[in-house]
Parts: sequence; C-alpha cells; structure tokens
Amino acid sequence: MLEIKNLHVEVAGQKILKGLNLNINAGEVHAIMGPNGAGKSTLAYAMCGKEGYEITDGSVTFQGKDFLELEANERAAEGVFLGFQYPVEIPGVSNINFLKAALNSIRKYRGEEDMKAVEFLKLIRAKAAELEMDPEMLKRAVNVGFSGGEKKRNEMVQMALLDPTFSVLDETDSGLDIDALRIVADGINRMRSPEKSILVITHYQRLLDYVVPDFVHVLADGKIVKSGDKSLAIQLEKDGYAGLGIAENAA
Amino acid sequence: MTFKNHIDGQKYADDFKAHAAGLPGSDISWLNDLRRTSIAKFAEVGLPGPRVEEWKYCNLNVLKSGKFNVSSLIASDEGKITSLINEARLDDINGAKVVLVDGYYHSSMSNIDQQDGVTLTSLNGLFGADPEKAKALFSQTNDLNSLKELNTAFMTDGYVLLVEANVKLAEPIQIIHLSTTASNDKALRQRNFIQLEVGSTAQIIESFIGIDGVNCWSHNNTDVVIGQQASLEIYQFQNEGADTIHMAETIVDVAKGGDFKHYSLNIGAKLSRTEIKPTLKGEGGEIELRGAFLGRGGNSHNVFTHMKHMEPECNSNQVYRGVLDKGGKSAFQGKVYVAKDAQLTNADQSNKNLLLDRNAEANSKPELMIYADDVKCSHGTTVGELDAEALFYLKSRGLDKMSAKALLVEAFVAEVFEEINITSVKEKYLSLARQWLEIEG
Repeated sequence: MLEIKNLHVEVAGQKILKGLNLNINAGEVHAIMGPNGAGKSTLAYAMCGKEGYEITDGSVTFQGKDFLELEANERAAEGVFLGFQYPVEIPGVSNINFLKAALNSIRKYRGEEDMKAVEFLKLIRAKAAELEMDPEMLKRAVNVGFSGGEKKRNEMVQMALLDPTFSVLDETDSGLDIDALRIVADGINRMRSPEKSILVITHYQRLLDYVVPDFVHVLADGKIVKSGDKSLAIQLEKDGYAGLGIAENAA
Repeated sequence: MTFKNHIDGQKYADDFKAHAAGLPGSDISWLNDLRRTSIAKFAEVGLPGPRVEEWKYCNLNVLKSGKFNVSSLIASDEGKITSLINEARLDDINGAKVVLVDGYYHSSMSNIDQQDGVTLTSLNGLFGADPEKAKALFSQTNDLNSLKELNTAFMTDGYVLLVEANVKLAEPIQIIHLSTTASNDKALRQRNFIQLEVGSTAQIIESFIGIDGVNCWSHNNTDVVIGQQASLEIYQFQNEGADTIHMAETIVDVAKGGDFKHYSLNIGAKLSRTEIKPTLKGEGGEIELRGAFLGRGGNSHNVFTHMKHMEPECNSNQVYRGVLDKGGKSAFQGKVYVAKDAQLTNADQSNKNLLLDRNAEANSKPELMIYADDVKCSHGTTVGELDAEALFYLKSRGLDKMSAKALLVEAFVAEVFEEINITSVKEKYLSLARQWLEIEG
C-alpha cells in the first residue's frame, strides 16, 4: 500500500531524513519509535505534503501513485489521514462546518456529490457518540479551548468521519492521561481492517499496549536502524535507546 | 500656513458660483446663506492633504481624476435602477425604504410611511414642507470640517429620521444610495439627519451601491443625536462601483444612558473613507463600532474613528478587521479621547489585518488621549498573514488551498458580525464577504 524508498528530507536547509525505507502492506499496523530529533514528525509531515519539507531524494508511492506529486489535500483525498501531535486551533470556524467542508472536498475530489446536510449530521453525530465526544463540541470552534485530551479525541472523530485507507498518527498519545489514551487507542483500533493500514509514531511504548503493532521500527538520525515485531518496543522500554546503542538526542 | 497642508479647493468655489442658483431649496434664504457661508469656509481651507495627520494614509489627489460637478436630477434607466435596488434590498425586512439615486430621493422606489411618532422624509421633502424644522437640524450641527462644509454647500438631498420620545420602531428602515452611469464625473453630496428622543429605538440598514466604471464621488454626511436611554443601530454596506470615491461621515451625540451601534462592511469603491465620530455626553452611554474592510486591485479603504468620552461610566468598544489582497490598501485610524471627568470609562479598540499577498498594504494607527485616571482603555492592532499551520491542518483534511483560505478568511471576518441579531443582515454581511473571497483567482 505504501512504499517509501531512500527518502531524504530537508527542513530549512537542515538534513533530517537521510535515506529512509519503509514498506507497509494493507491490513498492517506499523509503529515507529525513536528518540527526540530522530525525524519522526518530519516523516509524517513529508508524507502528508506539508510545505517547507523539501524532498531531496527518494520516493513515496501510495497505492501505486507517486505521492510526492500531489498537494496535501489531494493526498488526503487519496485516503491518507494525519493525526497531529499538536492539533491546530482555528478560531471562528465551527468544528461541524470544518468537518463538512473536509468531507465534501474529499467527495468532490473523488467525483462524488456533496453529502446531504441531514445525512452528514446523522453520520457525524454517530461518529462523535462512538468516540464519546460531547455533541456540543461539534458546534465549537475547531480545537479552540479544548483540553489536550479533547483535541486528540477530536482528531479521532475526524479520522472516523473521513474513513482513511491509511492513517498516520504523529505522537497522538503525547500528553494524555490514561482515560484519554484509551479513547485514542480505541479510535485507532476501530480503523483496523484487512484493507487499511496504520502507522503509529510514538515516543513511548505505552500506546502500544493498547494498539498492538504488527511491526515496530526504530528511527534514529534520519534512518530506520532496526525493525522487529512488538517485542522490540518492549525491549526499548526496558533498555532504552541506549540499549540499542542510540544516543537519546541524536539531532 | 494651512495652504501647505491642503489641496486647493478653488474649482469647487467656482463650481458653486455657477450652480448655486440651481441647487435644491434655493428659494429658502437661510439655506442660501448657509450654503454661501459653507463654501466660503471651505475655500479658505481646501481639501485636507496628506500632511494632515487624519488624512495621512488617504490621499485626496484622487479627486483630480474628475470634475465632480454637482449632480443634477436627470431621468435614468428606470429598469436598471429597479433591478439594482431590488438586489440590494433585504426582502424579509418590511419596514420603510428610502431610495436615493444619484444624490436625489427616488419616490417611486421608496416607501416612507411610518408609524405614529416617527417622521421619515427626504431632506428636500422637509425643505419644502417645513423649512424651519430643517433649519433647526442644521443649527445643531457641530464638529465641522472642510469636507463637511463642502457637503453643506452642495448637498442635493438626503434622508431625515425623527423619532419621538419612547417610540420604538417596529421594523428596521432600509436606506439605499445608488449611483448610476448618469453620475459619472459628478459629486453626489447627501446630508442625512437622525434624531432619537428619550427612550426611543431605531435600526437602520444602509447600502451604498453603484456601477463599475462610473467615476463619481459619493459624499455622505450624517448627523445623529441619540437622546437619553435611546438606542440606534446602523448597519452599513458599502459596495459601490469599482471606480467610485466613497465618503461617509457619521457624527453622533449620545446622551445619558444612550446606546449606539454601528456596523460596516467596505468592499467597493477605489477609495472609501468611513468616518465615525461619536461623543458620549452623559453617564452610562454605550457605543459599539464594528466593521470589516476587504480590498484588492486598487481598492483603498480608510476607516477613521474618533471616540470621545466626555462623561463618566460609559463604555465603548471598537472591532475592525481588514483583509487585503493583491493591490489592496487600507488604513485604520482610531482615536479615543477620555476627558478629565470621564472616570470609570471602559474603552476598547482592536484592529486586526490579514495580508493575503505581498503586494498589499494595511496601516493601523491607534491614538489614545486619556485625561482621567480611573479608566480601563485598551487597544490592539496586528497585521499578519494567514496562519500556515492552520492552512496545512485544513489541507491535510482534504480542503484545497482556495477553500482552506476562504474558510480562514471568512472566520476572521465573521467575528465582527457574530452578534448581530437581525438574521438577514448578518447573512448579508457574510455572503458579501464570501462573494468577495470567491472572486479571487
């Protein structure tokens, strides 16, 4: 489904990713772990098309398409979702209008009609209920005044609504208490299916107790230095990155 | 040495000599005297030049682009007028309508029937019906400036709204000012009066519309008096033709416990100048000024406010938002004056501007003069670009760049109009802003 080959990325002239390779097949859940500054978030942003992330070499192919040719919104419409580490607050734009605009933009890209307002309301209310979000929060401005946990829950509601084929979750677990962590894990697990893939980027093993990955990769200094199954995450938790011979502040 | 600061106004004085006899109300001697005195005062000073602080960002050299002789009442294309007026009008508002075309009251499109205790008429109508009453309105005029003198000398018409004590207007009044192709190279000088006696309330929805390619000067002065515990709301829409010079000055006296709200949206005209000058003359007055200006491709929008707190325990709040795209320019100048005796004043002011293009300009100049010591006054001004993080967030959810931009800009502007409780007015503000956003390529 997703094939990343020899990916080199620079941000503001600084080399962050230095030849990263990653293959993710349909139905798989991958976790990328790594010390601060290893390039975890850069990988997420570069894959999803953020401006300022310059691809100097390599390729990203998604379902056979050259992904690097596409705008961020086109990548979203192709079925990729990015869960943000720090979801952005957007004053003045209500959550529900934002979600409607997002869903209909994706439908338009796919050559589908706008969803009828009534149908949309039904759908979004159902998704909010599944993830235990207070329906009142749909009326509020996007993420404005939301607690850390509420912002992440909102990310999960968006993911559930947009129903991506491939989800990248960039440290979605950071700063969450245990209840919020369960909600997030529940949101991710709902996306698991034989047709869909998930990439979880995390600094801690904690989330992986709830979202059990098929593969775990360690990212350090812009490359994947070690891959394994879930036991690799447990080993990391026990011995730390130093146990693998990786400096904690590689950048 | 005022001449150094001002642009010579001799051509207007000459124009006056040539046209004075044909101006409305020329059979009323006090009015002739008033016009003569006004043009003499104007000619002494001339037009404010860029060295006058209040006009620093608003260059009136643009007035050299035309003769701007006084507009004369001539028949225009009625079909065209009807369709433009219908477009500007809010259909769900059933109150009275005053339509002014090329500077003159247009009776067939208007409906000025009013409930008891309310007088609504054209200025010329009042000159004819009750010239002494009209004279009284002018005698209350203060805060003169050369442009207002010019307006007085040449005014052709306008509207007058007088509301008696404790009368509450059942419906908002719609005022539509239209300039047609007949007004090309002309100045449309209109003078309006609004007086609300004790405890009365009124709402006015005022639109300024025109046609692209018409180089006219739409020049409006409105004098407002709000009595004790009376309340006035004005909702302005400026969507003049792209080649028009638009000026609208509103001077407001607010008595004890009075309430004044002024909303505005500036979209059209090559140069627009919206001036609002309220004076809080009694305790407990409340003033809310809110507006947005959207400019691109040769638009220059100027908003000038002068808030005067003369008495204690009054509140004023000003919120202005500017959005400037390629070739657009704006200036917000907001003065707040708090007199020595105006203790316990709350005066807030905020002007935020968004630049959508490198080739856009926003100027902002707050000016606070506070002579009382127990007051809360704030001002804030920003000029910035769209938040790149927010744009990426929206794009990552599937919105294309244009839609993402539009959503963010609309939200930025919508904040100004959020609390309007006449639904169709609020909707009109938002839909005009949306249309403006959609034009962008």
